[in-house]
Amino acid sequence: MPEVLKAPLVVEFPFTRSLGPVQSAFLTGLRERVVLGVRTTDGRTLVPPVEYDPVTAQEIRDLVEVAPTGTVTTWAWNHAPRRGQPLATPFAWVLVRLDGADTALLHALDAPGPDAVHTGMRVRIRWAGDRTGAITDIDCFEPYDGEPEQPGDHTGEFDNPLTGIVAPARLDYTYAPGRAQSGYIDALSGRRTVGERCPSCRKVYVPPRGACPTCGVATSEQVEVGPRGTVTTFCVVNIKAKNLDIEVPYVYAHIALDGADLALHGRIGGIACDQVRMGLRVEPVWTEGARYPDHYRPTGEADADYDTYKELL
Amino acid sequence: MSKEPVAVTGIGQTRHVAARRDVSIAGLVREAARRALDDAELTWSDIDAVVIGKAPDFFEGVMMPELYLADALGAVGKPMLRVHTAGSVGGSTALVAANLVAARVHGTVLTLAYEKQSESNAMWGLSLPIPFQQPLLAGAGGFFAPHVRAYVRRSGAPDTIGSLVAYKDRRNALKNPYAHLHEHDITLEKVQSSPMLWDPIRYSETCPSSDGACAMVLTDRAGAARSPRPPAWLLGGAMRSEPTLFAGKDFVSPQAGKDCAADVYRQAGIADPRRDIDAVEMYVPFSWYEPMWLENLGFAEEGEGWKLTESGVTELDGDLPVNMSGGVLSTNPIGASGMIRFAEAALQVRGQAGEHQVEGARRVLGHAYGGGSQFFSMWLVGDRPPTS
Repeated sequence: MPEVLKAPLVVEFPFTRSLGPVQSAFLTGLRERVVLGVRTTDGRTLVPPVEYDPVTAQEIRDLVEVAPTGTVTTWAWNHAPRRGQPLATPFAWVLVRLDGADTALLHALDAPGPDAVHTGMRVRIRWAGDRTGAITDIDCFEPYDGEPEQPGDHTGEFDNPLTGIVAPARLDYTYAPGRAQSGYIDALSGRRTVGERCPSCRKVYVPPRGACPTCGVATSEQVEVGPRGTVTTFCVVNIKAKNLDIEVPYVYAHIALDGADLALHGRIGGIACDQVRMGLRVEPVWTEGARYPDHYRPTGEADADYDTYKELL
Repeated sequence: MSKEPVAVTGIGQTRHVAARRDVSIAGLVREAARRALDDAELTWSDIDAVVIGKAPDFFEGVMMPELYLADALGAVGKPMLRVHTAGSVGGSTALVAANLVAARVHGTVLTLAYEKQSESNAMWGLSLPIPFQQPLLAGAGGFFAPHVRAYVRRSGAPDTIGSLVAYKDRRNALKNPYAHLHEHDITLEKVQSSPMLWDPIRYSETCPSSDGACAMVLTDRAGAARSPRPPAWLLGGAMRSEPTLFAGKDFVSPQAGKDCAADVYRQAGIADPRRDIDAVEMYVPFSWYEPMWLENLGFAEEGEGWKLTESGVTELDGDLPVNMSGGVLSTNPIGASGMIRFAEAALQVRGQAGEHQVEGARRVLGHAYGGGSQFFSMWLVGDRPPTS
């Protein structure tokens, strides 16, 4: 049995966010070195601010400035910072209650080691030099033994307020397709298509998943199918998809390979788009070095009778 | 012990548009929830639990957004549940909420669904570059277009049917102030001459991408008795699932859809849906799905659904109006689209659908589906409480 395959899968995307009035003021404030909180119905000041009162659910918009100095309420040492974290050297994750606030803000504290950090210690914001209206406008916190700084009286009205941000997201996976698909991919390297037969309903699954989705039992009996097959249904794609290097128009078809009990999807070539029809008999066209057939082309056989493939659309 | 009857006493929607850059996600859901509470003349403290739904987290990239939305929805100190069943989620979310009332777990539940498509990327969220696999060749429209061709082959429908549906739904949307697309100069000719994107599906026969939210207040008999406006009553509700791909799957008329409808009709005592149901809000993201679902839901025999469309039966003034609101073809905030169908069905039986009201609508079906035609959720609502 071939080795089970593995490969990295990186999912990465820059998401946009509309901020709404409260987050807009908060992030614009950071750009201007002003930290804003919001006053709740019962008079507490929440930093970072929220749009709706967590207790009464009322809409809250009363923004108040708090000081850039504060007190660590709890912390955890980060021995090995990862990509995208606030500091590249080991640091403390801290919750800081800024002077004038009733709640704490999560950020990083630059300290030489865990022995230099304790709950109750006084800290101050270290501002980033280049500020754009983001939480990273606070570079980090640093230990501070001076007097508490007095907050200003900003109410959140700014010129050029920020209304949206881009939040990049990235996830790193290790993808393993499993035993059945690994076998299928291995056979493809010899230009053979191999499915698996369900021991219960006897249907042949291509590509195989290692289990029959209808019967819920494991499959293991390998069955070679094709190489020829029948176009059971299709569409003509006239718009170019992003990141896909295929010239339009092209035919995207469901192809039931001979011996398979469901259709797989592929492109039809070697024939004008308006000549493609349900029932067309096709065969794979391979290109050097590719894992999958590049496309399928007509075999020249007579079209398959509708009744022979009507269950395979 | 029989189930508690469930009533819809509050309905709220945002005005659906391409992009709501003025609000956060919290601001968007809040707007719909506030309108539903206002409609029911209730306050946040009258709500016992919140049930929320949306499409995959990958769409907007906010993981478990329900956690951060608790403040905006007054859910602090109350149970809050998230439901997820792809495009059908708006429907299944409402059903989970309804079941909490029917089981007498809670008296009054706020249910809500949303999507902020402008801040998401559905194409990306649904087609990750999985190693060893061939990239998706055709996008969402390309996924569904071959099934439409299969329907046309099976039914022998004339190729103009899809355009008739789109022309109807876009005109219905003109009567719905909450609909996204308001194409005042729409003509049948324009639909029929719009670009063929995924032959046989044209540009004007596809749904838009919208920002929007929809909310409902569901309550028990006691809550309904206090309702300032006529409630809609739940007469039957069901969900069914099946795999996306399996040998023998019928994409044109999935078995799970048939079973789901049969369950709803059994609960509601519907013997003949075509005769006993007055109107339908069904999930039609590509116009041809109207005749396909008419058959799947039992309103027409197999292969005959297109005849209802062609003869005008599904028009707003027809004998069985379909998608009076303009439907998904005119408004598609994906996660909310199913709940909008359910809410629009309820508006009809409450007599509060405004310009797109069907005169005398007493029993109306709301329908949603999602994934690769693998999740189905439906409810039938009426102007009177269930008899048993």
